Amino acid sequence: MTRRLLGSLIGVVAVVLLALVGNLSAGNEIALGLDLQGGVSVTQEPVGEYNSESLDVAVERIRERVDALGVSEPEIIRQGDAVVVNLPGVDNQDEAIRLVQVTGAVLLRPVVSASPISPGAGVPETEAPATGSTPDTTAAPGPSRSIPGATTPDTAPDTVPDTTPEATSETLATDSASPSDAEPVDSVADTADDSVPPTGSDLPPASEFADVAAQPISSDPNDPTASVIVQNIDGTEIYQLGPAFATGEVFNSDATADIIQGGWGVRVTLKRGSGGEDLWNIGASQCFSGTGSCPTRRMAIVLDGVVQSAPTVNQPSFSGGVDITGNFKESEAKDLARVLKSGALPVRLEVQAVQTVSPTLGEDSLRATLVAGLIGIALVLLFMILYYRTLAIVVVGGLVVSGGILWNVITFLSASSGLALSLAGAAGIIVSVGITIDSYVVFFEKLKDEVKAGRTLRNSAERGFKSTWRTIVAADTVSLLAAFTLWYLTVGSVRGFAFFLGLATLTDLVVAWFFTRPAMMLLARSGRVGRRGAFGIKVAPGGAS
Amino acid sequence: MTTSHRSSLGRLFHGETAVDFYGRRRRGFTVSLVLLVLSVVSLFARGLDLGLDFEGGVAWQVPATASMDADIARDVLRENGLDPANAKIQKLSNASEETIRVQVADQPADVVDAVQKSLAEAASVSSEDVSVTSVSSSWGRAITEKAIRALVIFLVLVTIYISWRFEWRMAVAAIAAMAHDVVISVGVYSVLQFEVTPATVVAFLTILGYSLYDTIVVFDKVQDNVKSFSGTRMPIADIVNVSTNQVLMRSINTSVSSLLPVLSLLILGSGVFGAVTLREFAIALLVGMLTGAYSSLIVATPLVALLKQRETKYASLVGPHSTGDTLRAMVVSGLPTGVRATRRAEATDGGPSSGGSDTATAVLTHPPRPRKKRRR
Repeated sequence: MTRRLLGSLIGVVAVVLLALVGNLSAGNEIALGLDLQGGVSVTQEPVGEYNSESLDVAVERIRERVDALGVSEPEIIRQGDAVVVNLPGVDNQDEAIRLVQVTGAVLLRPVVSASPISPGAGVPETEAPATGSTPDTTAAPGPSRSIPGATTPDTAPDTVPDTTPEATSETLATDSASPSDAEPVDSVADTADDSVPPTGSDLPPASEFADVAAQPISSDPNDPTASVIVQNIDGTEIYQLGPAFATGEVFNSDATADIIQGGWGVRVTLKRGSGGEDLWNIGASQCFSGTGSCPTRRMAIVLDGVVQSAPTVNQPSFSGGVDITGNFKESEAKDLARVLKSGALPVRLEVQAVQTVSPTLGEDSLRATLVAGLIGIALVLLFMILYYRTLAIVVVGGLVVSGGILWNVITFLSASSGLALSLAGAAGIIVSVGITIDSYVVFFEKLKDEVKAGRTLRNSAERGFKSTWRTIVAADTVSLLAAFTLWYLTVGSVRGFAFFLGLATLTDLVVAWFFTRPAMMLLARSGRVGRRGAFGIKVAPGGAS
Repeated sequence: MTTSHRSSLGRLFHGETAVDFYGRRRRGFTVSLVLLVLSVVSLFARGLDLGLDFEGGVAWQVPATASMDADIARDVLRENGLDPANAKIQKLSNASEETIRVQVADQPADVVDAVQKSLAEAASVSSEDVSVTSVSSSWGRAITEKAIRALVIFLVLVTIYISWRFEWRMAVAAIAAMAHDVVISVGVYSVLQFEVTPATVVAFLTILGYSLYDTIVVFDKVQDNVKSFSGTRMPIADIVNVSTNQVLMRSINTSVSSLLPVLSLLILGSGVFGAVTLREFAIALLVGMLTGAYSSLIVATPLVALLKQRETKYASLVGPHSTGDTLRAMVVSGLPTGVRATRRAEATDGGPSSGGSDTATAVLTHPPRPRKKRRR
């Protein structure tokens, strides 16, 4: 037992030290946020025609692009017409430009194959970059969008569900996940009241509709001429898509979310002529027939490498407008409408200026925060030493170990994922010292009770830790719940906060179990603490009572 | 506390306090209610002062000449009656030029013009070289909406968790205490008209987390005691009082440990070093942590007692609860003596002093009952 405790103690210290050496030798440093360190500021201005929707969508896309982990807290503002993006922790100006340039173009691509992403089932059939590790996959499978019979003049409502499971079962066969239920499938139907005769066969099979399965897959998801592998917006499905046959510009800029056949859907009209309706119908007929390029009969609406919706095409030809129905929630329908609206007239942003930007707070603030924080922590330690005397050794050791863990994780993520520590984050960490200390206070107070009840220190340490651990786990679970929900569902500084809260809480648990527990038990066994009358209480001279 | 040979501080240190939290709950509730009403009234009447990041504002851009830097820009703002602490002042630079960007919340046109003129003067350039543009909020509606949705989901999850780990009554009390803390902290911002920044939002979230954390630690003790007193006929008021007194020292220690860094940020950071941005952040945290620790003991725990009193088991036990030395004896031993507990059920007088001495001796003669060992 003693050996195991010692092992845990040495193990945790060794791991922290090794990581420290690794980080130091790799030259990793903590990247500080815009307020503390400044960064690179890129000013982009829209050129040509655009609407306010497309600018909004572009701003959102930029945010998602630059904030992959969600904790670098970029600042995105609209200054007049220009979009200003301030990026923390980026030294390279070219990299900054690459990050902030979004096209906002919506591509329409045929779905070659689709498979659901099931958590734990590994990466499905196709090797998709990062699908296994994205947080999306751990979420519950998204809302199952079965098709609620999209009625069209020439298609009976109940024929629609028939076609779809058949169409998708092919791709599901390779996967162990349950078919069709979790399969989000939307459907596209014509809004025109006059029935349109299926004329797909006369349409010229466009040359770009060659056998796409054989084509090489491009690593750039925005390349319209290549096949790509991308996920849908919920991260529940992954698709292999053929080359785009059209862009969102085939639509008029009038997409609206509406109740269509009793459920939320999106209604949009097509532009007249060769740049609109005709182009759309080439793709639609191809998908409706389910041949070579579009075996799944589904057409994906893709924005910046993410499938927004992949409805099954219910008609070979459309005139006037398109209805997209499915089991949408109101918000999902509205989002899709907004994407289509912006895709109809994508904003073209041109980089006007790239500048380095100084921190908003200035060095004196940073220094003041650091000095004040360190003095604060020193005061806490002083308080612990005065109050708990010898036992404070464990607190000091524990704080050093948690400090080491935090430093390692933050530096590593700064270097690898663009994490940047803002003032709020730094203050959050200082505050978390309070919660870390709380674990010790709960433990030591419990210990005091046990010792007062006449138990030996050794016995008390074991019993005390057991009950303390339950308390810590209960309280930390609440913090972790908060951290996880906020991190997963929010953006910007709230997400940054959630990240540091979660990190500090996990560190608290790790240190309590791997450091405090063995340190305290070993200390209790050595008998040194007991003899000096820790906490000013006489310990029973020996033997369990 | 008359018969004690220890000072009250010593009692605190040795965990021998006997504060009748439950009996004095009305006083605590009244204080909280007054604070809550003040906060809510102020929120409706005065609202919050949302800063640049939420509401957008105006930006000046001035060439960074030899006579122009961030500090001078701050002076210019001060001369024009604007608080530089609420402004964002940045230096933008690339190979060819350097500019200073000054952003503040929306201002009337004459102020905008005046600042433009003063900035031009300070930089010794003409007014036309100082550009004025409006800036949008960097926070964005999407962030608020997502944050609110996430909070609602979190509250549902945490209610489920506390109901499962403890019981639904505690979930209700914990959420109530948390709402109490957050409303009062936000109220302070409204009363003092501090400008709300993203850092403030983070501070409020910190308070939310801290409040729940602190309450859970106290509830864990209550639940422990509910279990260990389950064989007796102890009124819930006693159980709650014993638990609160047992965790009192821990609550004070933890609060001191959490507040020391915050106080240091407030006094040293903003006072001595003059980092004004820290001031409001630190004040928000200070208020939040104080109410967080306060509400766990004074609001949440008595609330649980009130809710639990409706349970059939405790409904029959409502009656005078122990105070003074009787309470102290239970706090110290963590046990009701069997004698006393049964006698209590019949006794109607419940004199604290006589009962107290009984208990004290009983406690001293009984060693702690060994706990059942769970699986090893």
